[in-house]
Amino acid sequence: MAQRPELMKGSSESLLLCLVGQQPMYGYQIVKEIEGRSQGYFQFKEGTLYPALHRLEKAGLVVGRWQMLPGGRQRRYYYITDKGRRALTEKMNQWRDFLIAMNLIIQPVRI
Amino acid sequence: MIAALSQYLDSVRHNLRLDFSIEKEVMNELASHIEDELQDLKEAGLSEEEAVSACVRLLGSAKLVARQIYEAHSQGSWRQTLLASLPHLLFGLIFALNWWHEIGWLLVMLGLVLGTVAYGWWHGKPTWLFPWLGYSLVPVVTAGLILLYLPQGWSWVAILIYIPLALWLVYSVTVQTIKKDWLFSSLMLLPVPIIAGWFIAVGWGKHFPEFSLERLYDFAPWIGLSFLALGASVAVFIRLRQRWLKVSVLFVSGLLILTLVAFYAGGRLGLPTFLFLTLIMLGVFLTPALLECKIRRGGR
Repeated sequence: MAQRPELMKGSSESLLLCLVGQQPMYGYQIVKEIEGRSQGYFQFKEGTLYPALHRLEKAGLVVGRWQMLPGGRQRRYYYITDKGRRALTEKMNQWRDFLIAMNLIIQPVRI
Repeated sequence: MIAALSQYLDSVRHNLRLDFSIEKEVMNELASHIEDELQDLKEAGLSEEEAVSACVRLLGSAKLVARQIYEAHSQGSWRQTLLASLPHLLFGLIFALNWWHEIGWLLVMLGLVLGTVAYGWWHGKPTWLFPWLGYSLVPVVTAGLILLYLPQGWSWVAILIYIPLALWLVYSVTVQTIKKDWLFSSLMLLPVPIIAGWFIAVGWGKHFPEFSLERLYDFAPWIGLSFLALGASVAVFIRLRQRWLKVSVLFVSGLLILTLVAFYAGGRLGLPTFLFLTLIMLGVFLTPALLECKIRRGGR
């Protein structure tokens, strides 16, 4: 991630897993999705996306498969695995707990 | 593809140092990404030149991308770790258990080494192959040493036929290995200074090499220990991700094991010999790295 590096540390792979968990995607599509859905808040240094995807693949959380496009071009789509889905559920729970705790602190105390 | 993008992809490829199959996938994936990006940027109204420059900027440093992808793939599994350290561990055990003088065990080891090397060589040269490959060259060196004991007058056979042939074999195997990654060549040659150290320690006498079985018996446990230590350092090497750490582990452990050899050789390796062996150890790292530079420059 190019911006908010401290906040984002350790969560870029969760983001990737989350997106790929919703539907199989290829690298460039992932970059655009993240940028579009976060309204530009998250911006990947695009080259670093692939190391992250390959780390997920090596860990068995996603699997990449080449698909032939009508024009003869190929794209590598990433699919979430069962192991990836379990890891994602765990991460999502951790994020939810974190956000609830953050909100409890950020919100003004009602007396 | 436009020159700047070709250069970018070339730079990634040169710094990847991964198996050919993985390299091909990574390069195709990046090329596909670039194609999509260029198309989008041009559709957004950028000229070809502007689109290319934006694309390279968005991708980020080619070296960094290559390094991170390397680190994503460079850590071997526990199975690969065991396979890579196995030849050192087996040689260590053969000496530690004093089986080195039993021809049966030596033949089993030789068969195992040659069989494993043949299998690995024809199955994509995985990382675990290279320590085995180093040991497959031991019979070549041993045959040369045996020639030293030929009757006088026959030594010209060794000089004229054997040495050029042996050097050619070692050189071509090393070059083949370097083409994959110079670090694998160092991994392969790592035992050379250690074996040379023990050979000098055992053979040092009035008429070097003066082979003494008794001395070999005395040194066998320590020879075993040094090979077991080699096995441990190879295991750490395989499990590490960062390249600089891999290099450091091999180099530092190589020097430590050489020190161990000098220590347990009980004064039979003097300071000049130790320094000479240290130079060989340095050569084990520098020569492949320099050769790789030369090969790459020649390939461009």
